[in-house]
Amino acid sequence: MESLKLNETPVRTSRNFNINNIKLENIEIPKNVPEFSNIEIIGKKINIDNTKTETKLKYGLSEKLTNQVNANSNQNMQIKIESKTNQETQINFNFDNQNNTLIENLKITAEENSKATLIIKYEEKEAKKSYHNGIINILALKESNLNIILINLLNTNSNNFLTIQNTIEENAKINYTIIDFGGKNSITNYYADLKGQNSENTINTIYLGKENQLFDINYIANLKGEKSKINIEVQGALKDNSKKHFKGTIDFKKGCKKAEGNENESCILLSDTAKSISLPMLLCSEEEVEGNHSCSSGKLEQKQLFYIMSRGFTPKQAMKLMVRARFNKIIENIKNEEIKNTIINEIDKRLD
Amino acid sequence: MAKTKIEEINRNIYDIKNKDEYDYKIKKGLTKEIIEEISNQKNDPDWMRNFRLKALEVYNKLELPTWGPDISELNMDEIATYVRPKTKLNSSWDEVPDDIKQTFDKLGIPEAEKTSLAGVGAQYDSEVVYHSMKQELIKQGVIYTDMETAIKQYSDLVKEHFMKCVPVTDHKFVALHGAVWSGGSFVYVPKGVKVDIPLQSYFRLNSPESGQFEHTLIIVDEGASLHFIEGCSAPKYNKVNLHAGCVELYVKDNAYLRYSTIENWSKNMLNLNTKKAIVGKNAQVDWVTGSFGSKISMLYPMSILNGEGAKTEYTGISFAGKGQNLDNGFKVVHNNKNTSSVVNAKSISKNGGKCTYRSQVKINENAQNSKSTVSCESLMLDDISISDTIPVNDIRTDEVEFSHEAKIGKLSDKTIFYLMSRGLTEEDAKAMIVRGFAYPISKELPVEYAVEMNNLINLELEGAIG
Repeated sequence: MESLKLNETPVRTSRNFNINNIKLENIEIPKNVPEFSNIEIIGKKINIDNTKTETKLKYGLSEKLTNQVNANSNQNMQIKIESKTNQETQINFNFDNQNNTLIENLKITAEENSKATLIIKYEEKEAKKSYHNGIINILALKESNLNIILINLLNTNSNNFLTIQNTIEENAKINYTIIDFGGKNSITNYYADLKGQNSENTINTIYLGKENQLFDINYIANLKGEKSKINIEVQGALKDNSKKHFKGTIDFKKGCKKAEGNENESCILLSDTAKSISLPMLLCSEEEVEGNHSCSSGKLEQKQLFYIMSRGFTPKQAMKLMVRARFNKIIENIKNEEIKNTIINEIDKRLD
Repeated sequence: MAKTKIEEINRNIYDIKNKDEYDYKIKKGLTKEIIEEISNQKNDPDWMRNFRLKALEVYNKLELPTWGPDISELNMDEIATYVRPKTKLNSSWDEVPDDIKQTFDKLGIPEAEKTSLAGVGAQYDSEVVYHSMKQELIKQGVIYTDMETAIKQYSDLVKEHFMKCVPVTDHKFVALHGAVWSGGSFVYVPKGVKVDIPLQSYFRLNSPESGQFEHTLIIVDEGASLHFIEGCSAPKYNKVNLHAGCVELYVKDNAYLRYSTIENWSKNMLNLNTKKAIVGKNAQVDWVTGSFGSKISMLYPMSILNGEGAKTEYTGISFAGKGQNLDNGFKVVHNNKNTSSVVNAKSISKNGGKCTYRSQVKINENAQNSKSTVSCESLMLDDISISDTIPVNDIRTDEVEFSHEAKIGKLSDKTIFYLMSRGLTEEDAKAMIVRGFAYPISKELPVEYAVEMNNLINLELEGAIG
């Protein structure tokens, strides 16, 4: 059992605010890493090389967790996207009692002018408690266009550590849809280096917390290229004693003239013991830019709840309907009907 | 569009230096002996002497902040923490020595006293040199005096409140303040008394390589109201000066306090000030702040909404020019039901200056039905300046309405073009937009101070845009 200090913000603020990093106690870090073989690949066949490589990160969750992936990963995939038409591939990491430790190192390169949709799903079907520590490192070369859908459906006993790093070149675009539901502790570190002119990155995230779940979400976007653009939309709901830290940093670096950055975070509190902390940072060293952020927290609108209940719904049904309506804009980005239904069912189940 | 070359601005009246003359200046540094000597010089009662020594112990234990601007150039061994001017406390401007009086004359303080203030306190280096208040307020039981007099004449009231709102353990510079504080104002407004015309204290630091550590303690009793204004300035020297004042505000049930600040320290000043208010049931504290001076500023006024229905509003603007790093903001803690906070913060960066808005809104478990709205806007006037927004929002109950929004941007080309099409020059158009940007803050100030703020903006903008 170990104590971990993870997910440092790129700029510190007062220690009393308890947001510069997250400290976790009694975390079991596997020393001997067993095999993980329950993987399904569905859809368009893609070029995967399983050679082990080392990933260098600008930020990452912590040196210790990055070293664990580089030294002890039990899944390595180097994926090359070459298709010129948007084709979909789904990679399912299915956790069960035999496959309950996944340490993966994914490197994805989108070649120039390529297009693809990649769905990566982490799902726990049988396992009582799992451990996941992964790195996804994406390089989007000129004019490429990637749709990445990440789905975390681990159970509420597991530890989920995920680092995502993106380098986005001229006119390239990466759209993320992140569904973050699982894990006793679900800790995500996301970094996008928008270095190319007209490079673009969109992140749409939904999280849903129950019981004693803790979400620590740290998104960092450095805008360097002229007319580069980042949009971050995070919608969440917290029930029981769950807790969320959202840290979102949009950093306009010198030279990113006419860049745009928008960040919106909204949290529905479904119990009076749930806690929501947010730190939406805008850092700016360039004059000709436009940066906006907004965030809000509160409970569901009582008038709307009452109206829905007056149409014959129970309070729980009305609550579920309203939470789903909030998430719908993001879920609608997913074109795969099966995945979409899985997510909707999961929302229903987790809100019960 | 070619940019005008940016020159160091002329701060005219604020930069007038008097000869460094004093009655007593303590040797530089921070030791137990120096603290004891300050206590001797000030003829402190025993409780205050012990308090100072304990604060020094806390100071030595605490670390420098691990965040915010770099203040490593501050060397306490190079700072004299107590400088007594060559005069006693006076209640008539005629008794104030000529050179000191002329300084305050040029800053317009005696004139403002005649026309728009109910009382004035003026501090020069470490001691208050002038204090006066209108007779009718004295008759109503209002107390407005310097802290040294308050400690002797109202010792129970001071002892009950002194550094209880801002404990010395809050951070390193509050501990420093507790050890070396000198000067400042004490205000007590009795129950139900409404002070309609503002009181003002003005703090002037003239002595080089020294610090000013004034303590302001204001108690607005139940149902009373007050508008208090503080102004501060200093001439520029080559070495750093330090300001680590402390403001403690107690706003009792159903009371109202507006605390306005026009801060225009010189650009060699490290302004590490602390301000906090405890707000009672259905009471309200409003902060209005214009921050123009200082080399480095770390200032985050705080409202603790302890009473049910307590309210606070913060309206602030920071204007950072060449060589300035202004890290300002606001903190609020909602500790009871039906409390509300409204924050409206603006910043302007130019000539390589850096503005940071840093804040915390905390809505605790027991603060059901509370509301908080935060809005911050930053304006960049060139591409060598920096503007950061670092707000923390900590929400611990579901019965709450919380929203926060922030914007960073430059002057709108469309608006400049429109104004120029109406006959304005480009510079006038830009200056008009900046004044409009600052208007929500200047309109909250009494008219004389709004004019002073607009003059400061004009002064800061001189040659800066084009």
